[in-house]
Amino acid sequence: MWRWLAILVGVVTLSALSAVGAYQLVRPALDHGHARWQEIAWNFPRDGWPAGRAFRCDSCGEGGTGVELYVRPKIGFCNCDTGVADDDEVDRVADLDLISEKFVPTEAGKVVRVADMKGRSRSYDLKMSDGSQHTAVGIALSHRCDLLVAVAQGRADADTMQRVALDYLASDAMHHWMMAALGGH
Amino acid sequence: MFGRVKLVSVVVSSLVSVSAFAQQQKIGAPPEASNMKLVGYNDLQARSAYQPTIHHQGDRYIAYIGHHGGTDDNPDPINPLTGKAEPNGTSIVDVTDPAHPKYLKHIPGQEGKYESGGAQMVRVCDGKSLPKGDPNAVYMLRAVGSQGHEIWNVADPANPILVTKIGQGLKDTHKNFWECGTGIAYLVSGVPEWRTRRMTEVYDLSDPAHPVKIRDFGLPGQEPGSTGAVPTELHGAISLGPEANRVYFGYGTDKGGIVQIVDRNKLLNGPKEPTPENLRYPEVARMQMSAFNGAHTVFPMKGMPIAEFARDKDGQTRDIVMIVDEAILNECGEPRQMVWFADVTTETRPMMISSWTVPEASGNFCERGGRFGSHSSNESMAPVFYKKMAFIAFFNAGVRALDIRDPYHPKEVGYFIPSITDKTDKRCVTVDGNERCKVAIQTNNVETDDRGYIYIVDRANTGMHILELTGPARAIAGLK
Repeated sequence: MWRWLAILVGVVTLSALSAVGAYQLVRPALDHGHARWQEIAWNFPRDGWPAGRAFRCDSCGEGGTGVELYVRPKIGFCNCDTGVADDDEVDRVADLDLISEKFVPTEAGKVVRVADMKGRSRSYDLKMSDGSQHTAVGIALSHRCDLLVAVAQGRADADTMQRVALDYLASDAMHHWMMAALGGH
Repeated sequence: MFGRVKLVSVVVSSLVSVSAFAQQQKIGAPPEASNMKLVGYNDLQARSAYQPTIHHQGDRYIAYIGHHGGTDDNPDPINPLTGKAEPNGTSIVDVTDPAHPKYLKHIPGQEGKYESGGAQMVRVCDGKSLPKGDPNAVYMLRAVGSQGHEIWNVADPANPILVTKIGQGLKDTHKNFWECGTGIAYLVSGVPEWRTRRMTEVYDLSDPAHPVKIRDFGLPGQEPGSTGAVPTELHGAISLGPEANRVYFGYGTDKGGIVQIVDRNKLLNGPKEPTPENLRYPEVARMQMSAFNGAHTVFPMKGMPIAEFARDKDGQTRDIVMIVDEAILNECGEPRQMVWFADVTTETRPMMISSWTVPEASGNFCERGGRFGSHSSNESMAPVFYKKMAFIAFFNAGVRALDIRDPYHPKEVGYFIPSITDKTDKRCVTVDGNERCKVAIQTNNVETDDRGYIYIVDRANTGMHILELTGPARAIAGLK
């Protein structure tokens, strides 16, 4: 009896260790393009632009805190020649104010590229209405005279958030939708 | 049965298509007009045009017209006077005889296409009206592309002389205003440290050869070092000068408009460091518009007698601000941009009292091509039209003449949609991934002179049309 019990404990322990090993192997893959993004409601009141699309990734971010991503085109809102010119433009256009009017950049922005769209990304600290602090990443990409803007927010670190957001924007499904939303090119 | 339904639907869709097609403009077709007629025309060298300013200069009338940058197809059109390709800048046209306008000079602007180049805005003051100006000079202030501003002496309009340059390396420029009686100028600039492309640089240009900067001004949240949401960028200001002591600022283009009424004295003489407190100090009132509309032109008309209120014991006259939004997308790709009237008699409680737009169905304007919606109004305060009539540039619906004597109930009394020419540029939209282009008039700006002529200019390179009122519309202005 004790012998069978020892064998069972050993099998369970080995299985658990294997599962941990497998999880350790799989998690980087989730963070690098296979994060589980789920579409959620665009939960903002109507403003000057039509509503965009909202997504949540529960597996993104540290400790499963999750990341939310809001994306929409802003047609005719970009300088046709200069594109997204500077960090101030990211502050102005990237829809951070949908989440909170109070945001402070934490660093200089950087040039980013998603498919054939070039723009800038910048990270921020958001002060939420309940007093809590969130991290956000604003992304503004130019496409001729139009903009594609995205804002990611959550409690993950800014680098992770930017990486998962850009990965998702570059996915086939999102790229297809973004191009259609920007007029089909 | 299905065959009949199919036949009917084919016939109906053909009729719809023919009807839409019939609304598209054709070269050689006559202009569409009501109570307005064409007096004269100049092609402005087929350059995309922005604000015209008509200046009574000695015994002549001179039109100064700002231009956007060139197009993809023709970035630097040829100037027939010099035979050279020149980036779009400022056209100077003698309109003393409006039936025979004479093109005098093109001053090249900044290289760059569309809004990234050219010299869009122009204002003109006589040296003798400026406190420290050369009495023999006539000064033209212009915004040059995105980078700075210039003042030219245009006393001889065929041979302008550069007087000075103001500002360098700005993010943008736009619709300046210059008080000719004092020399105070409200320059729309993008000072690099500010968080917005367009804000106000207030300058003393009473001596145009020696500009003196007074201060930077904008909405709190736009100033250097601020954080959080950035308020809508400036479009332009109009000042009523020291006596009325008010400056009216319009923010926005086609979204999130703001009308700001400012105490001019506090603006000029108050604390100048751009802190949120100091930026708020001169503000008398601020009216936030719908997210759907911007404020391109904010045109004040104080003390308008309202006939309907004549027998009321109070409030017989009203202070009115006319607000004109700017449409920016082709073929009705955005909420309608139009004209609004606000009663600002109780200054701190401005209230929208009316709006006006061209009925789309009156010309199937959403299908004609290019932009449909308002852009700007005349800004002349000459008595012939001031507080009586307003002229609105409405892109593919041409210019519209409004009777605004009762601003609670503005009504259209005339319109003129010019014919297109072989110079009129196409306007495109993307449909199912393909670019589809149409050619339509794009009346961008309008100005009037003190004789009652109306000058309209085209964004799609068609040139300048000089018009006059006819019929009942003429009587409203008291013209014979």
